[in-house]
Amino acid sequence: MYGVVSAAAAGGRSRGVGGNPVRLLVEGGVAALISDVPLEEFGETSLYRNLNDPVWLEVTARAHERVVADALAGGAVVPFRLGTLYHADEHVRAFLAQRQDALVRLLNRLEGAVELGVKAWFDRALYGAPEAPAAVHSGRDYLVRRRREAELARAADRFRGECAAASHELLAAAAQASTVNPPQPRELTGRPEQMILNGAYLVDRGDDALAAAVRALESRYGSRGVSYELTGPWPPYNFVEGGV
Amino acid sequence: MSSYGSLPSVHGGASPAQSGGPAQLADVLERVLDKGIVIVGDIRINLLDIELLTVKLRLLVASADKARELGIDWWSNDPFLSRGGGEQLESRLKRLEEATGIDGDGDERR
Repeated sequence: MYGVVSAAAAGGRSRGVGGNPVRLLVEGGVAALISDVPLEEFGETSLYRNLNDPVWLEVTARAHERVVADALAGGAVVPFRLGTLYHADEHVRAFLAQRQDALVRLLNRLEGAVELGVKAWFDRALYGAPEAPAAVHSGRDYLVRRRREAELARAADRFRGECAAASHELLAAAAQASTVNPPQPRELTGRPEQMILNGAYLVDRGDDALAAAVRALESRYGSRGVSYELTGPWPPYNFVEGGV
Repeated sequence: MSSYGSLPSVHGGASPAQSGGPAQLADVLERVLDKGIVIVGDIRINLLDIELLTVKLRLLVASADKARELGIDWWSNDPFLSRGGGEQLESRLKRLEEATGIDGDGDERR
């Protein structure tokens, strides 16, 4: 099960995990986006193994994401976490019937909205390199230089935190709702700069206020080594917590 | 101005995967594993397992020492998650057997 959409939504045309067609299972005012998966692959034991297989995980995660993203084109969608599995359509139907009201409320709240991601990256080298190392003539010169370097490092740390907070504040003001996720480490991003902000913002589809805020931030902080990256539109994964 | 390239623009209507190349895997995993509605279906994804993965994602966030090209193999050295865990358990069992004098694999022991 990938997510829930309004029963009136047109969708469910895409292919899901394993290339199987995605179906819409309608119950009352809502419909579940589902597709069949083989039990040999998604049974409890094999699922455990597969989740820990990087290739399987990537392929499956991307397939799951694509189905939800495709559904978003046809209207509001409540995204479900990867690995929501039922043995029979009837069980899905029972779930939909039971949570009907909450799902409808959530769909109404998310109607017309998309999630955008904004990351801020900090390049320490551009923030202000220690001045060209003056020749060290004495122990005193050395100590002075070390102290300057330490001060600069502290200032950079302070700036990083302040910039991330100020950036999020400005971005949040341009969004209906917002949330901050932990910055991803370099192992994950593969970038030399440090991620200092990993925010998600719920905005009206087509509203470019957030993009404008990003441009404003880029010109405000760009000269101090900060760059921004806008991703999306995403389904509102970050804005359904506690919703059903 | 920074020396970085121009800011990516928002692509209305396009999925992240369609706007300027595929979405970063980390962004996808962060969302489909850690966000979204969580309900317990018929097959318990053994929530513990997925929680472990999620914890790993969080852990990654906290520690940033080892350089990994893509970061999708972060659990390869984790005894709880990798297949190596089985071997580790086996060697531990063997040590225990030796310590208690139980003959685990048919070797002659006094």
